[in-house]
Amino acid sequence: MKFDTRTLILIAAAIVINIVGGQIAHFVKLPLYLDSVGTILVGILAGPWAGGIAGLLTNLVWGLILNPVAAAFAPVALVIGIAAGFLARAGWFKSWWQSIISGAIIAVPSTIIAVPIIVYMFGGVTGGGPDFAAAYLLAVGTSLIQSVAFSNLGINILDKALAALIAWVVASRLPTRLTSSFGFFSYSKA
Amino acid sequence: MALIKVEDLFFRYPQAKAPVLDGLSVAFEQGERVAILAPNAAGKTTLARWLAGLYPDGGLVAERGHVSMDGKPWPQWSAAERAAAVQFVGQVPSQQLTGCAFTVYEEIAFGPCNLALPEGEVRARVEQALAVCNLKHLAKRDPFTLSGGEQQRLSIAAALAMQPRVLILDEPTSNLDPESRDDFIAQLDALPAGLTVIVFEVALRPSLGLARRFMLLDEGRIVVDGTPETVLAHPRCIETLGMTAVARAAFEIREAGRWPEGLALPLTLAVAEQSFREAARA
Amino acid sequence: MSSRSGPQSGQTALLFLPGDSLLHRANPLTSLIFMLWMISAAAVLPTIGTTILIVAGVALSFAMGVGPRVTKRLVITMLPLLVALLVVHGFLVSRPDFIPLVGPLTYSPTGLEYAAQVVTRIGAMLTASLIFVTTTHPGDILKSLDQRGVSPGVSYLIASPLLLIEPFSERAKAIRDAQRARGLDLTSTFKARFKALPALLIPLITLALSDLDHRASILNSRAFRAQKHRTVIDAPPDDRFQVWLRRVLIVLAIAQLGIPLLWR
Repeated sequence: MKFDTRTLILIAAAIVINIVGGQIAHFVKLPLYLDSVGTILVGILAGPWAGGIAGLLTNLVWGLILNPVAAAFAPVALVIGIAAGFLARAGWFKSWWQSIISGAIIAVPSTIIAVPIIVYMFGGVTGGGPDFAAAYLLAVGTSLIQSVAFSNLGINILDKALAALIAWVVASRLPTRLTSSFGFFSYSKA
Repeated sequence: MALIKVEDLFFRYPQAKAPVLDGLSVAFEQGERVAILAPNAAGKTTLARWLAGLYPDGGLVAERGHVSMDGKPWPQWSAAERAAAVQFVGQVPSQQLTGCAFTVYEEIAFGPCNLALPEGEVRARVEQALAVCNLKHLAKRDPFTLSGGEQQRLSIAAALAMQPRVLILDEPTSNLDPESRDDFIAQLDALPAGLTVIVFEVALRPSLGLARRFMLLDEGRIVVDGTPETVLAHPRCIETLGMTAVARAAFEIREAGRWPEGLALPLTLAVAEQSFREAARA
Repeated sequence: MSSRSGPQSGQTALLFLPGDSLLHRANPLTSLIFMLWMISAAAVLPTIGTTILIVAGVALSFAMGVGPRVTKRLVITMLPLLVALLVVHGFLVSRPDFIPLVGPLTYSPTGLEYAAQVVTRIGAMLTASLIFVTTTHPGDILKSLDQRGVSPGVSYLIASPLLLIEPFSERAKAIRDAQRARGLDLTSTFKARFKALPALLIPLITLALSDLDHRASILNSRAFRAQKHRTVIDAPPDDRFQVWLRRVLIVLAIAQLGIPLLWR
């Protein structure tokens, strides 16, 4: 797997976009992560492997500079990028509504990977937004793993659908001069 | 044989109607100092990128013609050969950084390290570039914390550390205040005589300090090519880029019919005094 | 000799603190493997062991001159987790040993024990990573990787985001302030804040991508990846003792993880 220089630069930019997106979600005080817009964008422009690497490295870099806990979720970010790339390959990023559906689909595997990490490594909590939803579900008698899965899936669907939509808006507005060097992007052209 | 030769280059960006370079031909010799003047949207940056071998690149190819160095068209050069032959410094200083060096020193060393030169050689080149561009005191700083002018000097230092034979600068003085601009021109003058320097400019005054050979690029072609006097007095140049302050004064005098026939309009203060004296005597 | 990448670069968003301690002087790979050994120990030790590991780790961080930063980060990260874990496992997850506390509230001693186990385990792993990132400059990690012939592309993918995040965070704040001045209210309803997101994000993303072309030509013209190997200057020093120490730590880390599995 050897990426050309442009793809490497795109991945590096995506890592920055992810981390700054996460910071913006924090400013706006919404229970969203918004830390996968860059990953999904790389998936659309350069394919599943580049997308996966963008996700994986986002969490490792995040771990190095802001919060080492993020590194534990690197496999989740990897899966988001791979899923986005395969959906783009299948032509599911050609319009705004397809992107929203793709985002919701991406939420499923990412939750499947995240739940065991949350439950077995972190005892079911992350110190973040979904904890409240999980606590509520637990209080009404759901099991821990189900509570974590439901609360995370709910937030993930909203989060990934929005992230995928934003990624699509950005990708569709990029100048041809820039996108012409990313051959994979042709799968997302109507 | 010319060092860099452009032959009948016809180029347009994908999906664009009008060509940016419209059958352009020009040649540069070793050691020349050339200023290419160009109004906005004349194809300045595009030509600069072609001269530097950054094009053709992927989908960006010429419909006709090519650019060659030492008689060999750019596509036949390997990345390492080209990097050691020609360096390009673009217009926006922060965009000329590699974005992967933690210090000014490492930014300059990045290229020579990539060429796998011995460590001693890398250090010698970095020290020399730091000295030429007056950056020694900033060697340990993070490149992204520098001012625009400092970043500009850094990007030129990084280009010089590659020891190219040709240096191509796109509006190198646009981010400098007048004082550092004069310093910068003096530094360029002190570069090795064998180095070919091609400067793209919209400003007339700094160009005069930089180059002996002038050109006007307009609508994708070289319109005039010659001495500063012929190019700066060309009607199209005056129309699009104006005149230097002294030339403007002399021009006004000529318009009023009080400038001696056959006396060239002065371009710089250095020659102006003499010209104005002659004009006053006439 | 503090960080070989220069003290000034410590001003960026990094958790790294310049210094002259043993761990600052150690080869980055030694520090990295020490961290991995500590994480593997935290994965298998019982609560009492992980607690000792945290205390020892914090003591080590003070000895290395990074104590206040490590402790502050540890507390900020662990406090919400601690609260959430105690509530979830002490009071919410239904367990057979529920004991009435006050009114309708019941709590579970085994649940609290479990919460303590998870908190100290994550705490110990976090302490290990914080000691590593506060005493090791990323530039030095990359140089050690370069020296070992790791592809320059990999170094680029880690170094470039580290350098670009700070300027972009600043721009994100500037865009937020500009949008606020234009009437965006970040304390209003959920719907309004949700709708405001694209206006905040899209300009930044576009900006991050606008440099792509330029950066590609700069890297190519500096012969990026033109040769198989690149010269490494100011490589972090290494010695035979550290080489052996790393080997021992790797064997220990694997054994720690493996032995409890065989035991069962």
